[in-house]
Amino acid sequence: MATVEFRKLVKRYGTHQVVHGIDLAINDGEFLVLVGPSGCGKSTSLRMLAGLEDISGGEILIGDKVVNEVEPRNRDIAMVFQDYALYPHMSVYENMAFSLHYRDTPKQEIRTRVMEAAEILGLQDLLDRRPKQLSGGQRQRVAMGRAIVRKPQVFLFDEPLSNLDAKLRGSMRLEIKKLHRKLGVTTVYVTHDQIEAMTLADRVVVMNSGNIDQVGTPEDVYHSPQTIFVAGFIGSPTMNLLPAKRNGSATIVVGEKSDFHVQLPAKSASNTDAFVFGIRPEDIAIASGDPEDGRVHVDGVVDVVEALGPDTLVFADVGGHQVTARVRPDVKPDIGQPVRLSLDVSRAHFFESESGKVVS
Amino acid sequence: MSRFHRIVTHGILIIVCILMLTPIYWVLKTSVTGDNLFVYPPSIIPDDPNLFFYVEAWYTVDFVRLFFNSFAIATLVVIANLFLNAMAGYALTKQFPAKGLVLTFLLMSMMIPFHATIIPAYLLTADLGLLNSKLGIALPTLSHIVCILLFKSNFEAVPNSLIQAARIDGLSEWRILTRIMMPLSKPAVATNIILSFIWSWNDFLWPLIVVRSQEQQTLPLGLVSFLASFEDTTGSLYAFCVLVVVPSMLVFLLAQKDFIRGLTSGATKG
Repeated sequence: MATVEFRKLVKRYGTHQVVHGIDLAINDGEFLVLVGPSGCGKSTSLRMLAGLEDISGGEILIGDKVVNEVEPRNRDIAMVFQDYALYPHMSVYENMAFSLHYRDTPKQEIRTRVMEAAEILGLQDLLDRRPKQLSGGQRQRVAMGRAIVRKPQVFLFDEPLSNLDAKLRGSMRLEIKKLHRKLGVTTVYVTHDQIEAMTLADRVVVMNSGNIDQVGTPEDVYHSPQTIFVAGFIGSPTMNLLPAKRNGSATIVVGEKSDFHVQLPAKSASNTDAFVFGIRPEDIAIASGDPEDGRVHVDGVVDVVEALGPDTLVFADVGGHQVTARVRPDVKPDIGQPVRLSLDVSRAHFFESESGKVVS
Repeated sequence: MSRFHRIVTHGILIIVCILMLTPIYWVLKTSVTGDNLFVYPPSIIPDDPNLFFYVEAWYTVDFVRLFFNSFAIATLVVIANLFLNAMAGYALTKQFPAKGLVLTFLLMSMMIPFHATIIPAYLLTADLGLLNSKLGIALPTLSHIVCILLFKSNFEAVPNSLIQAARIDGLSEWRILTRIMMPLSKPAVATNIILSFIWSWNDFLWPLIVVRSQEQQTLPLGLVSFLASFEDTTGSLYAFCVLVVVPSMLVFLLAQKDFIRGLTSGATKG
């Protein structure tokens, strides 16, 4: 196990810069997830850590050692790829044992380690099979087994579940989580799936256009997003984001047609006039009666209703903006009919329009 | 496809097969009967077939020596082609400065007929002191550009993640080539083996130029000597031809499946 550190890490392809000097410290034994949309630089950062991409600037440390110029095979890492990258001409056993053969590991030791990994992952009966004879989930487990046998300092996962169907993805997520708890190896996991990020991570790193927007626990990034991007990216359905402008020193007016007034956070030191008001769908309900303390009512028209089972999503048009509410499963307003929404503004988020940063 | 179309298609294919196989059958038949080709009516079924002409061909020239020389040279050519072409093909899958120029140069080189390079090739071989030697005979065919490009296209079809996984697993570039790329490119390997073997086995002009002594003669050169030895050689000549052709046919049949996949691989993958 080891710590990992990025110091002002930069990646350039010609003149095009894709990673803009990021700093990140990963603790020993931590499960860290890099999450973000396609092209945000998360996979590139992981590949630089693996040694598969040259570093254009900055430093990467594994343990106390700068590894910028160290070959991938000497970094003591193991990587699980999106397409598993199993050697098709070798059996499961050979795939798992392959790297150990090139590290002068005695044959008996190789056998012991492969059998141990096979037992952990339930692969004992598949050791003689070729990858093409395995299902997607089994291949994924073999890919993890290949990483485990190495007993590396750091595990790297590059979107390992994206080729699996939704059900299998859920169960593999659980297996990865258990595996990490059992082995306790420092893990860096890249995904664009926020559910994977939220369920697996000790800490989540949200990346946006080659920069780190926020680092924090899953609860932090969900409940206290530091930028509009994080607020809009984390959560499904995403946070409702409405334009707002200052109306006096401590209040803002939200929306353009169906306006409502909201107090800015008491400690706000922001001097800007343009804001973005954010509120999660679960903090909006269908109004009944007068607004309680800390709530604001706003009128809209129901666009779409999605019954998900445990709850219902109501998509309403509020003054030309779509607002999503997560309500009880028995609440099913009629489409096209007016609806009065009750917003719990005590749980709302305020961002500066220009900088995109949270108002604090 | 309707039944009628199937019958017509199969009928045409059978006729083409007969046309293609007739000369081979004729050679085999003549090699065991010695019948003159130009007789009327032609006899389809061999009359009193025997192996006399094979025995005559075997002993008239030193067939074992000729065979050994050809086989040694072909083996050298096949091994050299496999490794040199695979290494060059692998290098061409990487990005490096002036890669386009190198590829253009290789493609242009393919357009130069071998006959146009014979004199410089001869002078080079002479300077290296390799005239009248097996290595000298093999030298110009140790690598073929078409096989390099074949390896390149096959290697490009191997997912990049496999190479990266191998790199993380601790393999050097050489081992990635020999343990990952080549086992995953069996069609290209088979095609290389067949083409380089047949080209070397059938090569006549270059050995004719560089071979000075009977000890270094190959089978095609032996065939010429054989023709010069007799007046009526019909049966023995055909028997000799069969003996010359059999090894290359065996090599082809052994790797036929992968060979066809190798030649058609570009049609179905990137």
